[in-house]
Amino acid sequence: MIPPTYYLLLAAVVFSIGVFGILTRRNALIFLMAVELMLNAANINLIAFSQFYGNLTGQTFALFTMALAAAEVAVGIGIILVLFRNFTGVDVTEAATMRW
Amino acid sequence: MAGVFDVAPAIPLLPLASFFVVLFVGHLAPDWLPRKGAIPGIVALAGSLLLSLWTVATVATGQYANQRLYTWVAGQGTFSLHFGMLLDPLSSLMLVIVSLVALLVFVHSLGYMNDQGETGLPRYYAGLSLFAFSMLSFTLADNLLMAFAFFELVGLCSWWLIGHWFREDGPPSAAKKAFLVTRFGDYFFLVGTVAVLVTFGTATFAGDGSFPAIAEAVLAGNATVPTFGFAPQTWFTIIGLLVLGGVIGKSAQFPLHTWLPDAMQGPTPVSALIHAATMVAAGVYLVARMYGFYALSPTALGVIALVGGVTALLAATMALVKREIKQVLAYSTISQYGYIMLGLGAGGYVAAVFHLTTHAFFKALLFLGAGSVIIAMHHNENMWDMGGLKERMPVTYWTFLAGSLALAGIFPFAGFWSKDEVLYDALVHGMHSPLLLLGYLFGLVAVFFTGFYTFRMVLLTFHGEPRSETARDPHPVRWNIKLPLVVLGTLATVGGLLNLTLVSDVLGVDVSYLHGWLANGVGEATGHHYATVLTSVAGYQTGSLTPLIPAAVSLALALGGALLAWFLYGVPEPTEHTARLGAIQRLLVQNYFQDEYQVWLAERVVQPLARLADTFDQGVIDGVVNGVSAVSLFAGSRVRRLQSGVVVSYAALLTVGLVVLLVAFGLYGGWF
Repeated sequence: MIPPTYYLLLAAVVFSIGVFGILTRRNALIFLMAVELMLNAANINLIAFSQFYGNLTGQTFALFTMALAAAEVAVGIGIILVLFRNFTGVDVTEAATMRW
Repeated sequence: MAGVFDVAPAIPLLPLASFFVVLFVGHLAPDWLPRKGAIPGIVALAGSLLLSLWTVATVATGQYANQRLYTWVAGQGTFSLHFGMLLDPLSSLMLVIVSLVALLVFVHSLGYMNDQGETGLPRYYAGLSLFAFSMLSFTLADNLLMAFAFFELVGLCSWWLIGHWFREDGPPSAAKKAFLVTRFGDYFFLVGTVAVLVTFGTATFAGDGSFPAIAEAVLAGNATVPTFGFAPQTWFTIIGLLVLGGVIGKSAQFPLHTWLPDAMQGPTPVSALIHAATMVAAGVYLVARMYGFYALSPTALGVIALVGGVTALLAATMALVKREIKQVLAYSTISQYGYIMLGLGAGGYVAAVFHLTTHAFFKALLFLGAGSVIIAMHHNENMWDMGGLKERMPVTYWTFLAGSLALAGIFPFAGFWSKDEVLYDALVHGMHSPLLLLGYLFGLVAVFFTGFYTFRMVLLTFHGEPRSETARDPHPVRWNIKLPLVVLGTLATVGGLLNLTLVSDVLGVDVSYLHGWLANGVGEATGHHYATVLTSVAGYQTGSLTPLIPAAVSLALALGGALLAWFLYGVPEPTEHTARLGAIQRLLVQNYFQDEYQVWLAERVVQPLARLADTFDQGVIDGVVNGVSAVSLFAGSRVRRLQSGVVVSYAALLTVGLVVLLVAFGLYGGWF
């Protein structure tokens, strides 16, 4: 059996890729993907511990997270669509007109 | 069997119904309102009068009512606040007075307002109905708080009706003055009411556990109440004087009398009902209602007597020089209420209630008579433009004369018996108390002035030659003016029969019916008990004196004043003799500069204080509040620049924050 350390390392790597994506990219679609990566990094952790402790609760939560991520994408795509219509582009740094 | 006590709440509720009917129908469909609202009021008050008479008949059989009707604040482990009904000889007598005078005033208003084509009549009749409701409820009240509530409500109606002609300059200002001056007194009344509730845990007037009964038990050493560090008697005196503040304001006693003469700006029927017969009587009625409490405090009684005596004298002197008929009557009202206060303070409970009764009749009569004269004179109130109205309006003349004889206290009219009894009580108790004797002397001197100003008024108005075109050809008045005059004229003539104490004392036959009437009541709220308490607690002693001599003295003084007036003004072309008084006349015309010094107080003392408070409020309180908000706004305007709107930088900040937190926890937790 693979020890949980590997899973945790994998999850940390996936999560870091997600953070990196958010901090460096300006494309909203890339943003959405990066967020998905971060969510799935959390999922990996849940499943790893679920298997390690022999408790199915973690897997159940992973399913919930997936459903949540799907909903989030639906909303996110909508936002991006509006962003595109208003700013003729999907650059997130452009949308700074309603700050104060 | 449904006795009168089951339906007695209808006595005030009938006028209340009339108020709503007149107000809403008058607003929504004025054409449907018979006589613009007079008829609902007359019907309602006729009902109230019949019920009041039934109440009197029931009370005469020795049945009294003292019951709670509605508890509006139910206290948990403390006192409750309630509305209730106390029907005893005193309140039933007052109910009859109020409903009778109010009914007659409604009838009179038909002539004074409707026939003169006044506008805004639904408003007028709604106000009168509301007043009747408030005054009757005040009369019925079984506790001090309820009395206070309706005391305020009659004040509101007074404001409403004085300011009826609100498009002119004078009435709104007079209405405001009446409201504010009486409110100044009522403030003390409110504090007194709270003090009564806190001290005794109840504010009921009569029966077991009423506050006069508790106070008496405390003084006898049979009970204790919190007295806030004072001796019980001192504390009760303080409470009594606080409540007296409201009485002085409402009954127009010195120095808060200044609103009443200005209140004459209102319609004359209103002056008759509110500012002569009933509302002004509310103050002295309140003292009579809680007389069991006042009788425990000789100091409070002394103050009442002295205020009454001073008011009686000062107001009588001011009435000497007035030119308008209603002004003379206004000052005579103040003076007569001074007598009633003197009577109450001097221990003459029955005498004071008697004078209250007769005064209500003869002063309402005089005001309604003045209303008749004012219609005849096309609303010119100046007596120097009248004269010779005797032949042209005989009904008004003879009834007015009856009222004047009663006012002056000429035998055998009603006022003679009551005023004489007040003065006699002041004298017999004053033989052992210099304060009361002083009050008696003031009252006695005022008798002379009363005789003079009354007959000056009568002679200038009705006798001599007409001094103006309108006086030569006065406007005729109809039955609706004359009927109330005749009814009240009869009462003013024979009202003394209620209580011929003088005859009782001299002939030894018992004809002092009012003494017998007021001797009984609920619990210890009886005239009989008051007399006992006055002697045992307040220490009043009665001197032995035949009542004939003081009666003869006061009658002689009244006749002397009347004859002097006859001598000076009973000529075809009278001149203004009071002008010869010079500086004194100026002093009297200016009412001893009472208004001036009160305005001075308001402008030079109260206004700077108010300004100071305003500066403090605007500067310090508002300054702190505004400062806090200014600092917040400034800080906010700087801090908001963090919000760049660029989502990447938010994410970066989040990440940096998380890392900083992790490092901090790490250092703190010793990971490194």
